[in-house]
Amino acid sequence: MRVGIVGFGTMGTTHAASYQRIADCELVAIADIRPERRALAEEQHDVRSYATLRDMLSAEALDVIDVCVPTFLHREHVEIAAEAGKHVFCEKPLARSRAEGQAMVDACRKAGVILGVGHVVRFFPEYQRAKAVIESGQMGNVGTVYTYRGGGGFPTAWQDWYARYEWSGGLTLDLIIHDFDFLRWTLGEVERVFAKSTWGRENNRMEHVLVSLRFANGVIGNVEGTWLDLGTFGTKFEFACDEGLLTHDSHWSSALKSYQLQSAAHTGKPGVAVPESPMAIDPYTLELKHFIECAREGKEPMINGEEALRAVEIAVAAQESIKTGKPVRLERG
Amino acid sequence: MRIGIMSFAHLHAYAYADVLNQLAGVEFAGIADEDAERGKAVASQLGTRYFNSFEELLKADIDGVIITAANADHRRLTEMAAAAGKHILCEKPIATTLEDGLAMEKVTREAGVKFQMAFPCRYVPAVQRLKAQYDDGLLGRVVLLRGTNHGKMPGGFFIDPEAAGGGAVVDHTVHLVDLVRWIFQTEIKEVYAEIDRRFHDIPTDDCGLLTLELTNGAFMTLDPSWSRPDDFYTWGDLYLKVVGTNMVTEVDMMRQSLERIGSQDPNYQWEFWGSNSDYGLVKEFVACIQEDRQPTITAQDGIKALEVALAAYESAKTGKPVKLDN
Ligand SMILES: NC(=O)c1ccc[n+]([C@@H]2O[C@H](COP(=O)([O-])OP(=O)(O)OC[C@H]3O[C@@H](n4cnc5c(N)ncnc54)[C@H](O)[C@@H]3O)[C@@H](O)[C@H]2O)c1
Repeated sequence: MRVGIVGFGTMGTTHAASYQRIADCELVAIADIRPERRALAEEQHDVRSYATLRDMLSAEALDVIDVCVPTFLHREHVEIAAEAGKHVFCEKPLARSRAEGQAMVDACRKAGVILGVGHVVRFFPEYQRAKAVIESGQMGNVGTVYTYRGGGGFPTAWQDWYARYEWSGGLTLDLIIHDFDFLRWTLGEVERVFAKSTWGRENNRMEHVLVSLRFANGVIGNVEGTWLDLGTFGTKFEFACDEGLLTHDSHWSSALKSYQLQSAAHTGKPGVAVPESPMAIDPYTLELKHFIECAREGKEPMINGEEALRAVEIAVAAQESIKTGKPVRLERG
Repeated sequence: MRIGIMSFAHLHAYAYADVLNQLAGVEFAGIADEDAERGKAVASQLGTRYFNSFEELLKADIDGVIITAANADHRRLTEMAAAAGKHILCEKPIATTLEDGLAMEKVTREAGVKFQMAFPCRYVPAVQRLKAQYDDGLLGRVVLLRGTNHGKMPGGFFIDPEAAGGGAVVDHTVHLVDLVRWIFQTEIKEVYAEIDRRFHDIPTDDCGLLTLELTNGAFMTLDPSWSRPDDFYTWGDLYLKVVGTNMVTEVDMMRQSLERIGSQDPNYQWEFWGSNSDYGLVKEFVACIQEDRQPTITAQDGIKALEVALAAYESAKTGKPVKLDN
């Protein structure tokens, strides 16, 4: 499979590294409007580079387009790729609204191409294991669930696009959509959402969100996300079940911790800890490997456009609740 | 100074009795209990006198009482103690209805007896450090909070809807609401709640999630669930995260523990070595009587905390956020 990436920023760089580890898959080209990113891509990988997706499509014979541009540009790029008859992998969140996402799903269906979406948390081993344990019934029924994600500070990116709510959808759409997708995957549909955010009350760059979820099966959920800089990024969850507790805390479970001795450099600042939990194959490579297999064999990927749209719906309901101060019922549920 | 205990229906009575036995100049003068068998057994176990009725205990030469009866009995016992001129330390929640709470406030005020609510979490040193951080301006303006007060299902009167006035939500909401009101000098102006029974086959709710708006402009979620398994490694948790404009602070009271790993079930337990907050609470009650001053944790504090728990039940029933007047 011949792959082209559009958007060689943070995620484009991550995906490019992953394609090197996938058999029978070749990263052929990248497209990015910034010349310095194109130069970097050519330096790091054996690829040709272009300014736009259209330029890349007209010059290269490709099977797959991997869309890693900022969220507000997802629709445009997915539709261009689909019209060109290419299978599309799109970073999460699929879209900023239900209508936008539905249009993308329709475009790919009409063109007969496979659409996969980057809800990579489903490929994180601790989350996969949690789902397996819950589904095994060993813990009985889930009563309440809590998830946490964040602490790594506000994301830096091209044109500071994360800071523009209309472009990124804020933390609710960008960050904790990972947990919405994971929880829905594990516990089923969400019926009701009530949410509070600092967005609209405080500086957007410090957004912190608390969400109350009610699932169709009765589970009460509490989802927390933050863009505050708490030293290091972290994730947590707790499934409280009628026959036990299942918990995760990434800071506790990191198998490797390195401490930058800034004191040695006489900066006077405290050292910075960098926790890691390395795996034989990282989750990004696993998600792309799965997608490439599906594209090659014409199979539906685990997280197709419709699946990703369900997570967008939960995030959009949370945004609406934040704005109106009212609980929001999901139409489907 | 002589103090008696009215009813051992609430398990905290044992902890308070321990403190009475530790405090210098204080005599644990006796107990009365609506369950005579339990009362007699406890009295002989703790080396104190058993009185055959609440009336007899109140006729004795005592200065004050600790009321640890079922929530619905708090009003009746408070009225009896006030009529007998005894000072009162009352277990939380203050009552099962606002009407009862208000009546208790009135009767103790008119009788001129001291009335203190048992909110021992105010005496957790980590909580006091958090309050100092806020008072000293280190936290800055408070933006949001997240609290949990998880526990095991306690059984007894706690799961009798009449006697307890609810389940986990009325039992566990009040501690964190009181802390937030006390530390940040704020009130709760809106309550939304999801409430259910999902863990145990009991007549009351056992879990929930409250979402609160505070008058200081912050918001909060509060999880009061009885969601810890029966053989959980400690009784539960008291956790509060505060995001301020200058600082983020997390209080996790039970972390002051050793991890104890054995070879028999339960093979993993926490051995708590933190300070005993009940000691501070009961000591303050005794000091208020000795120094003839008003307790800092008032009936009004009890009423305000109860109001939030009752609003949570209303919200869960109607599916809408409930506004509170302040
Ligand atoms: N799955 C994850 O864990 C994860 C993590 C971070 C970001 N994301 C998602 O990935 C997407 C990209 O985020 P990012 O952090 O990599 O952003 P980024 O700003 O780092 O990268 C975006 C890149 O797109 C380029 N670009 C912008 N417009 C373009 C155009 N019209 N044509 C070609 N290139 C263009 C920019 O020059 C930039 O290099 C977002 O949707 C984001 O939500 C996912």
